[in-house]
Amino acid sequence: MNHSNDHVGVFICHCGGNISDIIDIRSVKQEIRSDNISTFDCEYLCSNVGQDLIKTSIYKHSLDKVIIGACTPAKHEKLFKKCVEDAQLNASMLEIANLREQCSWVHPNNLATTNKAISLLNGKIKRIQTALPLIPIQIPINPNAMVIGGGIAGINSALNLANNGIHTYLIEKEVTIGGNAAKIGKMFSPEKLAEECSMCSLSPLMNEVGSHPNITLLTYSEVENVNGSAGDFKVTIRKKPRYVKDNCMACGRCSKVCPTYVENDYNCGVKDKKAISMRFAQSVPQVYSIDPDHCIELTGGECGKCRDVCKVDAIDFEQKDEMIELDVGAIVVATGFDEYDASRKPQYGYGIFENVVTQMELARILGVNGPTLGKFARPSDNSMPHNIVMIQCVGSRDEGKSGNKYCSRYCCMAALKHASLIAKKYPDANVTICYIDIRAFGLYENYYRAVQDMGISFVRGRPAEVVQKANHNLVVKIEDTLTQELKEIPADMVVLSSAMEASSGTKQVANILNITLSEDGFVKEKHSKLKPVDTSRDGIFVCGTAQSPKDVTDTIAQSGLAAARTSAFISDKVIRRDPQIAQIERSLCNNCDECLKCPFEAISKDKIGNVDINPLVCNGCGYCTKLCSKGAISIAGYKEEQIMAEIDGVIEKGDVLAFLSREIPYATADNIGNSVAEYPANVKIVQVPTTTIITKAMIEHAFKRGSQAVLLVEEPTDNPVGSFIYPLALENFEQLKGELGKKGARLHFKKAYIPHYRGLAETFISLAQMEDIE
Amino acid sequence: MKQIENIPDCGILLFKSCLVSVEYPGIESSTTYVFDKLGIDYLVSDEQSCCTGLGYYFDLFDQMSTTAVAARNFAIARKNGYNNITPMCSTCYAINKEACALLNSNDEVRSNINSVFKQAGLDDLIYEQNSLDEVDNFYHVVELFLSKAKQIGKLNTIDFSGVRVAAHHACHYYKIQSDDMIGNPNHPLLIDTIAKSCGADVVEWYEDKTLTCGAGFSQIHVNRDLSLKVTHAKLESLKEAGVELVLHMCPNCQIQYDRYQPVIEKEYGTKYDFVHMNIGQFVALALGADPEKVCGFQTHSVPLDGFLERIGVSF
Repeated sequence: MNHSNDHVGVFICHCGGNISDIIDIRSVKQEIRSDNISTFDCEYLCSNVGQDLIKTSIYKHSLDKVIIGACTPAKHEKLFKKCVEDAQLNASMLEIANLREQCSWVHPNNLATTNKAISLLNGKIKRIQTALPLIPIQIPINPNAMVIGGGIAGINSALNLANNGIHTYLIEKEVTIGGNAAKIGKMFSPEKLAEECSMCSLSPLMNEVGSHPNITLLTYSEVENVNGSAGDFKVTIRKKPRYVKDNCMACGRCSKVCPTYVENDYNCGVKDKKAISMRFAQSVPQVYSIDPDHCIELTGGECGKCRDVCKVDAIDFEQKDEMIELDVGAIVVATGFDEYDASRKPQYGYGIFENVVTQMELARILGVNGPTLGKFARPSDNSMPHNIVMIQCVGSRDEGKSGNKYCSRYCCMAALKHASLIAKKYPDANVTICYIDIRAFGLYENYYRAVQDMGISFVRGRPAEVVQKANHNLVVKIEDTLTQELKEIPADMVVLSSAMEASSGTKQVANILNITLSEDGFVKEKHSKLKPVDTSRDGIFVCGTAQSPKDVTDTIAQSGLAAARTSAFISDKVIRRDPQIAQIERSLCNNCDECLKCPFEAISKDKIGNVDINPLVCNGCGYCTKLCSKGAISIAGYKEEQIMAEIDGVIEKGDVLAFLSREIPYATADNIGNSVAEYPANVKIVQVPTTTIITKAMIEHAFKRGSQAVLLVEEPTDNPVGSFIYPLALENFEQLKGELGKKGARLHFKKAYIPHYRGLAETFISLAQMEDIE
Repeated sequence: MKQIENIPDCGILLFKSCLVSVEYPGIESSTTYVFDKLGIDYLVSDEQSCCTGLGYYFDLFDQMSTTAVAARNFAIARKNGYNNITPMCSTCYAINKEACALLNSNDEVRSNINSVFKQAGLDDLIYEQNSLDEVDNFYHVVELFLSKAKQIGKLNTIDFSGVRVAAHHACHYYKIQSDDMIGNPNHPLLIDTIAKSCGADVVEWYEDKTLTCGAGFSQIHVNRDLSLKVTHAKLESLKEAGVELVLHMCPNCQIQYDRYQPVIEKEYGTKYDFVHMNIGQFVALALGADPEKVCGFQTHSVPLDGFLERIGVSF
């Protein structure tokens, strides 16, 4: 489609001399002015005066299209788009020629700079003649959120969301929320050098969740299936039967008459729980539940005692699984950790010797609501242990295949906390901590020092073996690596600081949500520094130990952030996406399915077999355009004819044409200008989504126009787009080089890194000089 | 990583061991006896040489000569079409596996060795990169037995119930090559599983289970006291665990236990009531082999008469 009769306005910015001192703006204007091209200039186009000039000129001169010659579009493109939209033009009726970073700043002493500016503007003028109005993509966001996992991370996320006015479903697979944090009797406080009751912190939060008007709590429930995408997830929940209705008053009569004792996994598997019970006194919701594997009635026997004593008729042996459908806009994954199975290291005797326990089990033993009701006693004979040896890094920092390579982060502090608790309450007890390094980062160092001052012994070394002697007493064999002595430390009780591992729930949920896991099995964040709670899928966030091992302090911080990110996402109400993504012309499509090779999985087939492009996933890289032999797919704003038109305007005899991918490579070229480096003015840059869209026709067109060399510069492999696209771009380059025959020698390929702008400048210089020789 | 279900039972080159041949020839005759009973397709080649492991660990041979000898043995395996190199000795296993990894990954080593072969006119020995795979072409005999444990259990002719058995797994199998062992290197259970399939009362964990036998190649000669101290500690743990039979998978460990147990008894003034066998000898016995002609128990230093009588085998 040709709109050459449209009225185009070209606005050139002086940039306070940054552009106008080098480029002769008057001759530029003279050169490009014509019947249907009006030219304007301004000291600062980005100022209010400049913006007004653009807006009023659009009205006054009935401009159809606008070209701006100014700084890099990375800087003010959004501002100028808003200007043209304010003046009732479509945003795609604007093109920006980069006259500063890629022209005046990089060729400051070159007479050809003005000519280059003219050619860059000509390129944009030709390009915009082929432009069509594009409609920005807007997808409504469902206002509800879902948090998966009711541990301390999920609780904190849900409360933050709910307090922000977002209705939140909190899904927990156990009968109560609370998670692992509910098992820990005390939490340490590094600033007070003290230990605080953890249930006293957690219980009020749990109650708040239970009564919050913006939270729908679904316990004993698991996510079964999730469809849809960001902003519009369709979730199926399976709610398991408790066999007790919600009208339960938690009076406890049922539990008193229940004849069956079962193992209590909340209390290290001690048989101190009835088949009808609450997990712990502070459970939320305050509703009993029946263990169907052990209840006499539910295993085919006859009992029903609980039903008989219940005053509110809450017992219902007929309850079945219930499927619940939810619509949510965003999801927070807070599925927590599992403790490493220490029996994988039989040399430490866990599961073999009764008096070898884990820190998590010690936390229960020390808890006032624990299996010993707060009495510090060892499992074999219920006597108080006097010599306690703790072994650090069990299953952590372990190169072997029975452990994990990473540090679990919490265990040094957990060991110090338990050592401190024991030393304070039982001054006669001797606690020894066998460690590799104590990692008491930040302010925790103060706590570490305080615990050292309490007389706790530290032995540096990884024990070889724990051996059981008479009376269930133990001996820990270790080499003290500071003195290089072999030691045998007698112990009444050995405590293993077991690693934190990605929970089975995390793996299960990640599989349902189709989000990426790290090598270690935790949910992988999009960027460890910049996007620490975003997952590989938009609209799905992660926090707590589902993302990596961490302690309660870090979990609270991260779950707050996940809630903030979720809240910001939902509050937008609509997802806006730039329209420059793949679009399909269905009448040309022959269903060859080649485009389904999209490396980002943005393209699929809909129910009736048509190619469907997901606008939330497509990043407009353009790889699919090369896969389509029918020319049915194109990138909006980057159609072949648009790029050909720009080449037409930009390239003159002897030029080097550089196609730069739009993120890192384009920014690297800008950085050459920012860094006051130079290269010859016959190097002309055309921005593309990625170089995978470059065709043989485009290169041949550049050669025909007189270009001596063509350079393709691609995103580096450590960039989210480049990691998929770089090898495909390289493949495209090699194919093009082959197809071009002899001329292929003049086609070059490179990747760019922003700080390594000199490398790109040197490539520009060497290619420009090569032509001089020719 | 190696998976038990992928262990082959054909194309097996049963790799001869110098220590087996010299010290306990019954291990080899037992292994071939079992292989025949299990229908395993194997070859024993007289062209094959020692792996040089002993010389290597005594610092007599360097890695280059060791690798060259390995390349020569690999050529024999290839020529005969028996590419799954399967030693009875854990040192042969580790030495060959390591040599193969080097030949595959280190171009300089490979080309040096190949040029030596060329100069000597031994072109048929030249090793081509990746002609063997250091994971998929190297097994220990115990892994083959493990993969056939069910079958072994069915063919078993002896009632081992109530016989307290413990295993000593070899360091060069599960420590040096820990990534490629079957199971958990902190808790090797290969021998235990095979013994269990024959109905033995297996002591899966005992103090010092993963401690070395103490031999340490030259250590038993140059550091005799330390070496025997380690062995003594291990024998004490086995005694504590009330074991009657200790099973081995490496002739070097077996020498250290069986030959030196009487020495330690004398020097430490103690007495041990247990006997030693290689896993191959144990399985052969279970499958009905003659204790003398096949198992070669008469070559042991700790006499097995009493033990064999206890399980109803006449010797």
